[in-house]
Amino acid sequence: MTAATAVLGYTLRVCLPARRWWTLVLPWVAAVLFGLLSFASDEPRQEAFAVTADHGLFSLLIPIGCLVVGDAVLGAEMRSGTFHFTWLSPVPIRTIVLGRWLGGWLISLVALVPAVALSAVVARSAAAIPALSLATAAGSAAYIGLFVLIGCVTRRAAVWSLAVVFLVERLLGSALSGVAQLSPMWESRAVYAGLGPDAEELLRDGVPDGWAAVVRLTIITVVVLALASWRLRHPRLAAASD
Amino acid sequence: MSTDGPVVTALSTGDPAFAAEATVEVRDLSVWFGPKVALSELSCSFGPGVTGLLGPNGAGKTTLMRAMTGLLGPKSGRVRVLGRDPRASREVQRSLALVPEDEAVPAGLTARQLVRYVADLHGVVDRTAVERCLDEVDLTDVADRKVGGFSKGMRQRVKVAAALVPDPTVLVLDEPLNGADPVQRAHLIALFRRLGAEGRTVIVSSHVLHEVERLAQRQIVLLQGRLAAAGGHRAIRDAMADRPRRMLVRTPAARQLAASLLGLEAVSGVTVDDGSIVVSSSRAGEVATALPRLARDLDTRLEEVRPLDDSLESLFRELVR
Repeated sequence: MTAATAVLGYTLRVCLPARRWWTLVLPWVAAVLFGLLSFASDEPRQEAFAVTADHGLFSLLIPIGCLVVGDAVLGAEMRSGTFHFTWLSPVPIRTIVLGRWLGGWLISLVALVPAVALSAVVARSAAAIPALSLATAAGSAAYIGLFVLIGCVTRRAAVWSLAVVFLVERLLGSALSGVAQLSPMWESRAVYAGLGPDAEELLRDGVPDGWAAVVRLTIITVVVLALASWRLRHPRLAAASD
Repeated sequence: MSTDGPVVTALSTGDPAFAAEATVEVRDLSVWFGPKVALSELSCSFGPGVTGLLGPNGAGKTTLMRAMTGLLGPKSGRVRVLGRDPRASREVQRSLALVPEDEAVPAGLTARQLVRYVADLHGVVDRTAVERCLDEVDLTDVADRKVGGFSKGMRQRVKVAAALVPDPTVLVLDEPLNGADPVQRAHLIALFRRLGAEGRTVIVSSHVLHEVERLAQRQIVLLQGRLAAAGGHRAIRDAMADRPRRMLVRTPAARQLAASLLGLEAVSGVTVDDGSIVVSSSRAGEVATALPRLARDLDTRLEEVRPLDDSLESLFRELVR
């Protein structure tokens, strides 16, 4: 087994122990509820679902789902003091970071893409599934990368991740398009705004949409992973009790 | 407790802090966390064989071990393992292994999965290595149990197995005997001694000092982040010649012998208690030589003569005093 495969396999095991696979269903349940919520609106189906997707899926489900997975990928190990098993090895740091990120991304794909698709089906907006799935996949890639980076930087990764999502992205990003351009939340929303049916209402000035947003999310992912690799070359891995 | 100067000055002259064939070198190493200085301009080295790393809580042992493995970066100074910086060279990690003190293990993995993971990361091609290492620490029977359910001692052992699987040249063990039962302690001590005898550099920290005495031929003693003493524990003790050593003497004529002992220039103090005498002297050898003569003069016999402070515990007590 190659080192990269070992890191990936370990990440999957640590993030989702064998008896916890059922937890993947939790976001599906939430997504179904959001899909049902769209019926509370009198607007046409597609437009009503776009609003629900904005407030429920892109603002809550995807960030929170990725936060849980992203923290388990690295931050939780940094806190508990088990990351040395991986770091104290000849495996290049970039392989460790990529393996961890890929493991987290795969889990988030399994948890979130079916969830958002299910939400669209429940809301009778099946036409939204391709754009919604693409937005979720690209957004979760950037989010997992971001939470891996936060896990490298601070031991209070979960708290800082929540602060980034709700204070920086949600609050500052609402007011400043400069922040929104660098935000997985706003950019994944913009992917759907540009490619989804009847989702023009979600378009926002100053934030690239459609495929341009996918490119932007890819760049964000690459940059945060590069920063995480750099940071992990100079760790301060104190013991869990320190 | 003051550590303004070296506690045992005699040790710095012959450089007992430095091993002859050093595999791990620490030069002027300083590490601090905010206002707390964990290590201060520490210089020492480690070579093949077992070296004990001693010191009270907060002395800097764990920090030194983490710096040696690259998990912590020095604020100043440098660490070299096999001639390379462990933070800059990923390759040196191939020859280096750490058993940390804290109990943390990936709870969802079995012992076999954890050791296999470490083996895969190191590119271990020998498929029997995992089983062999689990067997070394007597965990074969529970290899398929989740390590999250292991006792403290079992967790330590699975970490030892994971550390052994890459066949490291340098093995850093932070309190590896914690939580192990007496049988396992003896087993692990024998294992570490064997690894040292094979020419590996084995660095062991422990608070169980009599076990370090059994385990390590050489000790490095840290106090408040500084080097306090280095060498074999007897050599360290001898170097502390300016401090009185104590010996216990049992004899039927305790009071008379005590009075005779007080006449010796080498004796700095005597206490008598129920047939036994505790003699304090900075020249214990002279006292030991004189004792049979004094007993013969008093026509009495010596039932027991033994040093009270020739162990690491007493050395340790004296250093931290």
